[in-house]
Amino acid sequence: MKIIFLAYFLSLSVLCQAKTILVGKNQQVKSIKAAIAQSSDGDTIVVHNGIYKEGRILINKQIILIGKKFPILDGENKSEIISVNADNVTVKGFKIINSGHAALEDPCGIRVYDKSNVVIENNILDNNFFGIYIQNSKNCLVKNNTIKAYGKDEQLIGNGIHCWKSDNLQIIANKISGHRDGIYFEFVTHSVIWRNISFNNIRYGLHFMFSNDDAYITNIFKNNGAGVAVMFTKNVKMFNNYFEENWGDSAYGLLLKEIADSYIFNNRFSRNTSGIYMEGTSRIKVEKNVFQSNGWGMKIQASCMDNEIVNNNYLKNTFDISTNGSLVLNTFNSNYWDKYEGYDLDKNGIGDVPYHPLSLFAVLTETNPSAMLLYRSFMITLLDKSEKVLPSITPDNFIDNTPLMKSLPL
Amino acid sequence: MKRVAFILFTISVLNSCNSNEPKPIKLNSDSCDNCKMTISNGKFGAELITEKGRHYKFDDISCMVKFAKSGTSVPAKAFYVNDYLQDNTLIAADKAFYLKDGTINSPMRGNIAAFSSKPEAEQYQTKLNAAPSSWDEIFNSLQ
Repeated sequence: MKIIFLAYFLSLSVLCQAKTILVGKNQQVKSIKAAIAQSSDGDTIVVHNGIYKEGRILINKQIILIGKKFPILDGENKSEIISVNADNVTVKGFKIINSGHAALEDPCGIRVYDKSNVVIENNILDNNFFGIYIQNSKNCLVKNNTIKAYGKDEQLIGNGIHCWKSDNLQIIANKISGHRDGIYFEFVTHSVIWRNISFNNIRYGLHFMFSNDDAYITNIFKNNGAGVAVMFTKNVKMFNNYFEENWGDSAYGLLLKEIADSYIFNNRFSRNTSGIYMEGTSRIKVEKNVFQSNGWGMKIQASCMDNEIVNNNYLKNTFDISTNGSLVLNTFNSNYWDKYEGYDLDKNGIGDVPYHPLSLFAVLTETNPSAMLLYRSFMITLLDKSEKVLPSITPDNFIDNTPLMKSLPL
Repeated sequence: MKRVAFILFTISVLNSCNSNEPKPIKLNSDSCDNCKMTISNGKFGAELITEKGRHYKFDDISCMVKFAKSGTSVPAKAFYVNDYLQDNTLIAADKAFYLKDGTINSPMRGNIAAFSSKPEAEQYQTKLNAAPSSWDEIFNSLQ
């Protein structure tokens, strides 16, 4: 018993040895590198306000690095700025600017190499090639960072938060703009992306590749070059997100390619060229989303099957649905279509005649885009109306049998 | 004289229609005709010209090969690839020197880099820890 007590107090005394090192102009230690050299596992380094131009700062001990009033770490466009090469490291409260712009290696604001339990919180990253890069790591948290770059078209720039081959990551409440992809996931599993705002990025707001079993919830993706892409993936949950103002020939609110067994719930797609573009997707449920003021609400390519589109609102879209095939392998049920002109005699809220969401003109423009010139002409309207009554070019089983009379309160 | 000029003009117009020259890839604007991703890296892009003279652009050399074999378009008459060392410059695929895998990270994980000269490829072979390859090998190895 005594021995246990002794061991307990001994371990306490070891813990108490964890010290705090202050860094600053008026402190004993002037540079962060010197402080790291002096420190040992478990120490805290507090960096006071100032400008630090120390090149690449390598953290190879399990320490907590805290900035007071956002001290500036300047990479002077030469190198990577913070490299985390130890477990249990926290980097908090810095302003990290001007990483190198080399093209062969990817210099970053903060990079984590093959580690676990790293926390990157409350930092401001400005004008870096890559913002935060997490490779081959586990259980990391990236929270409340503001990441900004000034990428232009025709120029190579890295991603805001780039995660590769990792597991159990949490990406929470970050604000990302001006990078290539706001958030990029490749071979990342069991991770969550929550409450981020990703806007004005050159390519995608969020980009998923080969990343299974992830969720992204309550994010805003606005005005990115090509919206959001989820590709070659399965088991992804997409809840409560906003996909807004992604305009362009190859821009989509949400691009789904080769994805299966996923769930798209309660999102809002507004003012995009295409709300959702699907290719090679299967077994996806699209439920309770709002598609508003898009060019195309959904473009479903013929390679998609067994998708279920239920209880969505389609409002003010030029075309609600478009497809390039005649085979119907997806089901549409109980959606609200503002173009529905049927009636409800038994007053049960469900239209008595089925709705054909696929307009003749949508099919025509799919094969011949320049036919768009004739949109809203008298002949086209006439053809569209007759097609609704007697489907000839559009598949006659492409229907919503239970269209809602009133929009869902979403 | 006028007639000769007219004939020359017609010939040049016809020639330009049937050109073998690749069109430059517009980064962050053009999208890949195989995987639909926007092309953003001028090191790994590729371009294919069909027998009818249509241009298709790709973000990864593997995308081009897959596209060429998928039968989506008429057969190709020319292939072009981005030079790894010059940003967004297209070179003829059959005259390029290739490296594969190692630390090469291309957008669609084809992980193939093309070089315009052999010494350059050899120089980067150790740097990138990659294996040398050839156009025929790359074309035949991908489905």
